[in-house]
Amino acid sequence: MTITQPRSPAILTGVLGLLALTCLVIDFGPFLQRGLASQVMFTPDETDFDQILFHYSTLPRLAMAFLCGAGLALAGAAVQTVLRNPLASPTTLGVGAGVEFALTLFVLLAPASLAMFQEAFALAGGLIALGAVYLIAANRGNATLWLILAGMIVNLLLQSGSQIVLLFNEQYLQSIFMWGAGDLAQNGWESTQFVLPRVALGMLAILALSRPLDLLALGDDTAGSLGAKVTLLRLVILGLAVFITASVISAAGMIGFVGLAIPAALRIAGLSRSRDLMIYSVFTGGFALLVIDFVVRQFNGLGGDTLPTGAATALFGAPFIIFMLRKARIMPGSQSEDQHSDQQITSKTVLSVCLAITLVIGVAFSIFVSLDGTGFVLLAWNEGNLDIMTGRAERTFAAMICGAALAVSGTLIQRVGRNPLASPEITGVSSATALAMIIALAIFGFGQRAELMVIGALGGIISLIVLLLLCRKFTHAPHYMLLNGLALTAVLGAIVRIVLTRSGTQTSMLMSWLAGTTYFTSMDEVLIVAAVTGVLLIVAIALRRPLELASLGPEQSVSLGLGISGFQFAMMLLAAILAASATLLVGPLSFVGLMAPHLARVAGYRLAGGHLLGAVLIGVNVMMVAEWLARNMIYPAQLPTGLIAALIGTSYFLILAVRKR
Amino acid sequence: MAVLRFSIACLCLICLGGVLFILPGTAAMADPIVIEHERGTVTLDQPAKRVAVTNWAFAETLIALGLDPVAIADPADYRDWVAKPELPDDFIDLGQRGSPNMEALRKAKPDLILISQELEMAYENLSTVAPVMMLSVYDDGNVAFDAATGMLRKVARAIGREDAGAAYLRKVDAQLGEYGNRVRDILGPDGALTVASFYSEANIAVFGAPSLYGSVLVRMNVPLAYQGDVSKWGFARGGLEILAPLAKSTLVYTNPIPDVIHEKAWSSPIWKIMDFVRNNRVYELPVVWAYGGVPSGLRFAKLLTESLESGPVR
Repeated sequence: MTITQPRSPAILTGVLGLLALTCLVIDFGPFLQRGLASQVMFTPDETDFDQILFHYSTLPRLAMAFLCGAGLALAGAAVQTVLRNPLASPTTLGVGAGVEFALTLFVLLAPASLAMFQEAFALAGGLIALGAVYLIAANRGNATLWLILAGMIVNLLLQSGSQIVLLFNEQYLQSIFMWGAGDLAQNGWESTQFVLPRVALGMLAILALSRPLDLLALGDDTAGSLGAKVTLLRLVILGLAVFITASVISAAGMIGFVGLAIPAALRIAGLSRSRDLMIYSVFTGGFALLVIDFVVRQFNGLGGDTLPTGAATALFGAPFIIFMLRKARIMPGSQSEDQHSDQQITSKTVLSVCLAITLVIGVAFSIFVSLDGTGFVLLAWNEGNLDIMTGRAERTFAAMICGAALAVSGTLIQRVGRNPLASPEITGVSSATALAMIIALAIFGFGQRAELMVIGALGGIISLIVLLLLCRKFTHAPHYMLLNGLALTAVLGAIVRIVLTRSGTQTSMLMSWLAGTTYFTSMDEVLIVAAVTGVLLIVAIALRRPLELASLGPEQSVSLGLGISGFQFAMMLLAAILAASATLLVGPLSFVGLMAPHLARVAGYRLAGGHLLGAVLIGVNVMMVAEWLARNMIYPAQLPTGLIAALIGTSYFLILAVRKR
Repeated sequence: MAVLRFSIACLCLICLGGVLFILPGTAAMADPIVIEHERGTVTLDQPAKRVAVTNWAFAETLIALGLDPVAIADPADYRDWVAKPELPDDFIDLGQRGSPNMEALRKAKPDLILISQELEMAYENLSTVAPVMMLSVYDDGNVAFDAATGMLRKVARAIGREDAGAAYLRKVDAQLGEYGNRVRDILGPDGALTVASFYSEANIAVFGAPSLYGSVLVRMNVPLAYQGDVSKWGFARGGLEILAPLAKSTLVYTNPIPDVIHEKAWSSPIWKIMDFVRNNRVYELPVVWAYGGVPSGLRFAKLLTESLESGPVR
C-alpha cells in the first residue's frame, strides 16, 4: 500500500469509463442509427413505444446505476478514511442492515399517511446501527478489527430482526425480497429525481470536507494538534455517508460491495490523498455499477425471471475483493490483545457447577414443560406421551450438540487466531456447506433430507480442500482464511437473496432453514454430529498444551518463519469441520460460536482446556434455552432457533458495550 | 435412516398383518387403499377420516370434497389469501406452512398427512406421526390445473370419496366451459388475455400457461397472450416493459395490490402508453390464491368472468 503507482488509478477509472461508454453506445444504438439520440433523451415521441420505453425505463436505469454506484463508492471512501479502516463500508458497518430493517418495519407497519417520514425513518435506522457499532468498538485496543466484528454483530442482530418481521408477513415478501436484492428496474424518472439531489448534496458536502479528512488520516493526535475538531468532523462525515447510503438504499434497494470494493481498489492502485480518492471513487463507482447493471440486464427474461443487480454485484464482487485485499495485505494484524477488563465474574468452579445444574434442569424442563397458547403445560410421564417426549428430546439435543460443536469451533478459532471476537464462519467452510445445500434445494430441486446432507457435506469438504491448497501457497494464511470466510459468506448472502426472490411456495421453509432450525433434524443425525463433536473435543483437550502456547503471542509462529504454524492450521481445520457439521444439522447458524468462547473467557476460563469446556457448557445452555423459546414462545407457530440464539447473543454484546461506557 | 427403515418395516408388517387378517375374513371387508405419491406408495386400511393439511391447496381441496381437515397450517392467512371455501369451525392450528408444529399435529391424531415438495425435508419426521402423502401441484414441468386435478383425485381416493371427486370435477369442467364462453364473448374473436401481478411498481409477474391462472384459461378455451419463458412457478417476471409485447391484449391484474404500488405504476408514462390502458381493457381481479388447487382455479374463472362482465377499471 505504501508503493505509489500514480498512473494506475487513472487507468482503472479510464478503463471502466470506456466500458461504460460502450454500454451506452450499445443501449443508444438503435436511436443513434436513426439520428434520434437527442430526441429520445429529451423529448421522446409519445406515440413511439420504443422511444417511451427507452426514455422512461432504460435511460433512468442508466442514470440510477451511475448515481447509486457513485454515491455508495463515495460513502465507502469517506467511511474508510474517517475510520482509517480499509475493510469498512456502510454495509459492513451495519448501515445497510439498519436501513433495511427500518424500511421493512415501515413498509409493513406504517400507515400510508406516514409515507413522507419513510426517508427519515430509513436514515435513523442507518444512524442507529452505525452508532451501535461504534459503541461496541469504541475504546478497544485494535479499533480496526473491533469495528469489523462489531459490524458483523450489529448486521446479524438487524438481519435477525428483519427476518422475524418477514416470517410473519409472508404476503409482502416478494416485493421486500426484490428490494432486498437490489433491483434497479425503473419506469419513470421518479427515483432518479429522489436520489439525485440527495446524493449530489452529500457528495458536495463530503468533498468540501475532504481536506480536513486528510488530517484525520494522519491519526487523531496529529489531526488534533493541527487544529481539527476530530470528533465533530468524524461525526459530520459519517453522518453524510450514512445519509447518501440511506437515500440510495431506500430508492434502489440493497446494493453492497460497491462501497467497499471501489475505494479499496483505488487505494491499492495508489491513491492515498482523501480528496483524490473521493473524486476518483465517484466516477469509478458510477462507471462500475453502470457496467455491472448492463451485464445483469442481459440476463433479464432468462428462464422467465430477472436477476437483481444488488445481489449480482455482491456475487461477482466477493471473489474480486479477496484478490484485491490479499494483494494489498491491508488486513488487520493478528496480534490483537483483548484489552477490556476481563474481570472474573465468579469462581470458575461455582460457575461450572451452576451451568451443569441448569443444563440438567433445562433438559428436563425442555422435555416436560411447554406453552400451548394459554399457559404452561406439564407433560405427564406415560406411554402415550412418549412420542412427544422423543420429539422434544430430538430437537433439544440437536440444538445442544450444535451449540457444543460451535463452541469448540469458536474457541479453537479465537485462541489460534488470537482474536477474541473471531467466529467459526471465518473459515468459510460452514458457508460453503450451506451454499451447496441451498443451491441443491432451491435451484436443482433436491428435496430429500439425506441427499441434501450428502451434498452439503461434499460442499464443505471441497471448500476445505480448496482452503488447504490456498493456505499452503500463501504465507499470510490467517488473513487469507478470514478473507475466504468473508467472501464465501457474502456469496452465500447474495445467492440467498436471489433464491428468495424466486422461491414461490418454498419461501417459508427456506427462511426458517436459513435462519437455523432444528425442525428437520432426526435422532440419527444428532447422534452422528454428537460423535464427531465428542471426538474432536477430546482431541482438542488432549492438545491443550500446544494450544496454550499458540495463543500466547506471535513469537512462536514467527520463529517458524511463517505466518502460521502447522499446528495452528490443524486447529483451524478442526474448527472448520465442527462448524460444517453443525451447519449440516441445523442450517447456517453460527453466532453461538462467537459468543460462547467469548463468555467463557470473560467468566474466567483462561487456560485452553478449561476454556474449551466452559465454552461448551455455555454454548449448550444458550442453545437449549433458545430452542425452548423458539418452539414455545408463539405456539403453534415456531421461530427458527438460530434467530433466537442470534438475538440472545447480540443483545448480550450490546448490553456489554453500553455497560462499559 | 434407521428410523425410515424401521418405519417402512413397520408399515410392511402392518400391511402383511392386514392382508393376513383380511384374506380369510369376510368379503365385506374392503381392500386396503394403495396410492402412489412422490415418495412411494401409501397404504391405508380404510379411507382416511382425520386428515392434516400443511398447505392451503390441500385445505380447499379437502373442503371441496366435503371432508373438513382436522389440522390446518396458517389458518389466519388463509382467510385473507384464499378466502373461499370457508374453513371449518373446529380444527387444530399447525402454525406456519414452512414448519407445521409436530406436537399440534400429534394432538390432532391424524390418520393421513398431506404435504408438498417444500416439506420433503420433513417427510421422515412427519411419517412418525401418520402416513404421509407427498403431492406437489407446483413443480418444474407441471401444468398447475392438471396437477391440481390429479392431486384432487388422489386425495379423493385416500378419503374414500372417489365418486364425489369425479362428480366435483365434472361440475368444474362444465362451469369452466360456461365461464369460458362468457369471457370469450367479451374479449371478442381476436382478443387474448394477460394476467399480471404487481409485486412492486417495477417488478411484475405475467402468468404463463403452466401457472394456475394460465392453465385454467386453457381449460376455459380462452387465448392467453403470454407464451414466453416462465419460471418453475409458472410465471415470468420483469419491469413494466414485459407488458409491452402484450399491450394489444386485455389485462387483468390480481389482488391484493398495495395502494402505493398501484399509484406509482399507474402514473408511469410507460403504463399510460400501453394499448390496453389507452383503450380501456384493464380489469381488476379480487383475491385468488395463486398457489391453490382446483377450487382456487374455479374461483379464478368465476371472479374473472364477473370482473370482465362488470367492466374495466377507470
